[in-house]
Amino acid sequence: MEFSDEELCRQVAGGDTVAFDALVERYQARAYRLACSILGNEADARDVSQDAFIRLYEAAGRFDERSKFSTWFHRILVNLCIDHQRRNRWWRKMVPIGKRDDDPDAPEIDFPSDAPGPDVEVIQGESAGRLRGALDKLSANQRAAVLMQAEEGFTSREIAQVLGCSEATARVHVHRGIAALKKILKGEEP
Amino acid sequence: MFAKHPETALIPYLRGELGADERSRVESHLQTCARCRASMESSASMLREISEKVAQIPEPDWTRYRAQLRIRLAARREQPQTWWRPAYSWMSLAAAGAVAATIVATIAIRPTQQLGPTPPVDQLALEDAPADLGLLRDYPVVEHLDLLENYDEISNLDQFAPAPSRNEKSSS
Repeated sequence: MEFSDEELCRQVAGGDTVAFDALVERYQARAYRLACSILGNEADARDVSQDAFIRLYEAAGRFDERSKFSTWFHRILVNLCIDHQRRNRWWRKMVPIGKRDDDPDAPEIDFPSDAPGPDVEVIQGESAGRLRGALDKLSANQRAAVLMQAEEGFTSREIAQVLGCSEATARVHVHRGIAALKKILKGEEP
Repeated sequence: MFAKHPETALIPYLRGELGADERSRVESHLQTCARCRASMESSASMLREISEKVAQIPEPDWTRYRAQLRIRLAARREQPQTWWRPAYSWMSLAAAGAVAATIVATIAIRPTQQLGPTPPVDQLALEDAPADLGLLRDYPVVEHLDLLENYDEISNLDQFAPAPSRNEKSSS
């Protein structure tokens, strides 16, 4: 007998690790792919998606079933991804990465590049690289909304529940995100 | 009919998310608006492309992934959360208190440090504005004035003859 996500979550809330393993197996690929496409980095995607499962384990008792389990879990995941990006951006603003063009004498700091390198390029090919670069230019909410729409087939209502906004706002995020992607890929600034 | 293009409703229309009323309004708009038809098609194409590229993301070794997750979860569960969180908050309060005490102490100590070596104000004024002192030097009476008691002399200062300058003194 196969339990529903919601039933498994109730069992996790009761401390059932077998139910937790079942939920992980059911969602690991989706969680990892979404984290990877938002963050553009395999190592970060692994860590953040695992963080989301740990949060799921700890917060399962607070799942009130007002929304679907998948929406609730994706809310945890997407929030962690957005937080992760904000923290990284704050850090990178404080510390210069690499040698600055306007200061040839500045010491070079060899931090890992923000852009996916050959070993972490998660979407292969030139056009995919351009798409990755274009996605990086969107706001965090637009990027998450577009990717949830494209990858998960989430409805506007589900995207709104994940992002904690109104359905109208979620529609605007998707529309503006796609419009910006089109412009960037055509070589225009959004 | 829409007053303007129903841009944000095009993807939901394509995905069959709209209610009957909104769907029929979008349909009738699309029949007459080539721009919205083109926009909807290119948006759908963009979403398909993203979906295809994301599907190419290489998957990690899931056995290893779950093993790492179990280790992290076990480490998290072993943390004695019932006491460390309050302890952490007490440590934060203690740190905040120490910072506040340092600031107060700095403010309290600072004036006494400045009183010792600070020269008198009139000396500072003499050092800072020697050019303005020529007039005062020309009127020796000023040196003997108690400002409040000799108000008459001050108010009639312009009637006193200037004192001889230093050059005149040395020549005479």
